Amino acid sequence: MRLDIGASLRLFGGLEALLGQLRAELAAMQVAAQLAVAPTPLAALWLARAGDGVVCPDPAALRAALQALPLSALRLAPPLARRVEGFGLRRLDAVLALPRASLGRRLGKAFVLDLARALGELPDPQPCFVFPEGFAQEVELPAPVESAPVLLFAARRLIAALTGWLAVRNGALRGIELRLVHAQDGCTLVPLAFSRPVHAVSRIERVLKERLGTLCLPAPVLSLRLCAGAIESRPGGSELLFEGPGQGQEALAELLDRLAARMGADMVRGLACHADHRPEQASCMPAQGLIAMPSKIDNLPRPLWLLESPEALREVGGRPRRGGELRLLAGPERIESGWWDGADARRDYFVAIDARGAWLWIFRDSSGSGGWFLHGLFS
Amino acid sequence: MNPALSGALERGEIRRGDDFAVAPAPTLASGFPVLDAELPGGGWPRGALTELLPGGEGVGELGLLLPALARLSQARGCIVLVAPPHRPHAPAWAAAGVRLDGLHLVFPRSPRDALWAGVEALRCAEVAATLLWLDGFFRAGLPANSLRRLQVAAGEGGGAAFCFRPQPFAAQSSPAALRLHLQAAGRQLRVHLLKRRGPPARQDILVDIARPARSASGFHALAGPALPAAGERRERRRATA
Repeated sequence: MRLDIGASLRLFGGLEALLGQLRAELAAMQVAAQLAVAPTPLAALWLARAGDGVVCPDPAALRAALQALPLSALRLAPPLARRVEGFGLRRLDAVLALPRASLGRRLGKAFVLDLARALGELPDPQPCFVFPEGFAQEVELPAPVESAPVLLFAARRLIAALTGWLAVRNGALRGIELRLVHAQDGCTLVPLAFSRPVHAVSRIERVLKERLGTLCLPAPVLSLRLCAGAIESRPGGSELLFEGPGQGQEALAELLDRLAARMGADMVRGLACHADHRPEQASCMPAQGLIAMPSKIDNLPRPLWLLESPEALREVGGRPRRGGELRLLAGPERIESGWWDGADARRDYFVAIDARGAWLWIFRDSSGSGGWFLHGLFS
Repeated sequence: MNPALSGALERGEIRRGDDFAVAPAPTLASGFPVLDAELPGGGWPRGALTELLPGGEGVGELGLLLPALARLSQARGCIVLVAPPHRPHAPAWAAAGVRLDGLHLVFPRSPRDALWAGVEALRCAEVAATLLWLDGFFRAGLPANSLRRLQVAAGEGGGAAFCFRPQPFAAQSSPAALRLHLQAAGRQLRVHLLKRRGPPARQDILVDIARPARSASGFHALAGPALPAAGERRERRRATA
């Protein structure tokens, strides 16, 4: 990979600092690298192939460094390499000592032009780096892994690459997908969803950690592949000088994401009202990330808890009983609705107190059997 | 008094037996002045566990918390319910003043997940109040070391923490900062302070919590012709058949 660093030296505080930072970041990503600095891109590439840490700041130093270079660093095409070797040329100084015109005749014009580009005698414009539109990267594991939590270490490198990609695009993600590749083309998909767009390594890593902690691997994993979902632009907003209540709520979003990652997205819910007169339909528990509907508030007595299904009550002499006889305090409130969807309900609701002083919401089914049922607790 | 001793007392880490402890964080007013007067710091503790032991389901255990929860919620605080015993009925919570978009429900399936979710919710500084129902996951109730973990987590997060437990556990010791036993007393709720960071409570407190309004019609509607008793109706059906 070739980088034009001429214009960036001041920004990074000089060549030494830039190289130091580059090495540190490569080491953090566990990438082995050989660095070389030269006035021309082709020379830098050749020097880096031959060894690490060669720095030639000016053309004179470049010529000296190139002369010591073995010809293998040029990676010539095999037929050309054989011919050069046939001449008895081993190092670049021997090549540079020969007259260019005859070299061009014998080894081809392209070879001579490359030499001129490396020495800076000809301009060598480089194509601009085009940033990839989508993100999908794969990392091979050094050995098959059988325990899911261990995969986090390998995934860290992919996440670091992903966040770098996001930083350049100033984007954030609502979901990523990690594909664990097993032998024989089998693979396990690990989708991660975030309640609000994320871009920080630590957030993604902590959610992934909980997800991997509960994952059961069907077979050893050979490699990991990370794909990014749809990208969203990062909210721009100014930082607050003082912490205000309800601002940001990043920690809360992370908590909900981690809970959902470990226990399943169905197990973490919100609460919303639904415009229906039947109590069992008037309340819904949408998954996280869905917006709750504005609720209409009326003054009818409604219990805080609703039973999953109404509990049948015993009836003695037309009076409902639960433990002892229930005292009816308020009611009846007729709720009659739902003839259109098959869950027809015609009930008379009462507020009742049982012998232990618990406040109950009971109803008498006036459409079918006429029995009494417990439907909610006022708590 | 020895000046070193009085200095230590002023810092609030040690309290005298006949005095209220200094709460580590500002407390949360319960909305019931009679109750606040008996609670150290004048309200529900933040950053410490409060144990509520109702005499049965439906006596008004949530009604006691609702004014405080509604106030937190109106200030855009977030409330997490871990393993609620039933489905919350959204219209009732909204009518009590709780903002539904700040209410989160967690339904763990295993004891391990339940405890983990409780600890994580308590530790999150952006959760204003956590309500826990964890005893159902354990055969002999929440183990003492788990309660201690919850208490430590509550201290880290600094929010209000309410742990609902069945009444039989009142006899067990607990690291919670505040323990209340709740019993219905007609329209009121009888609160017995089992433990507080202060002198033992002399008598129970009667709290006027919100109860469903008594309707004017009362029993008349039941006795009226709109809804005949089931037995009577059966007879009538038999007569027409």
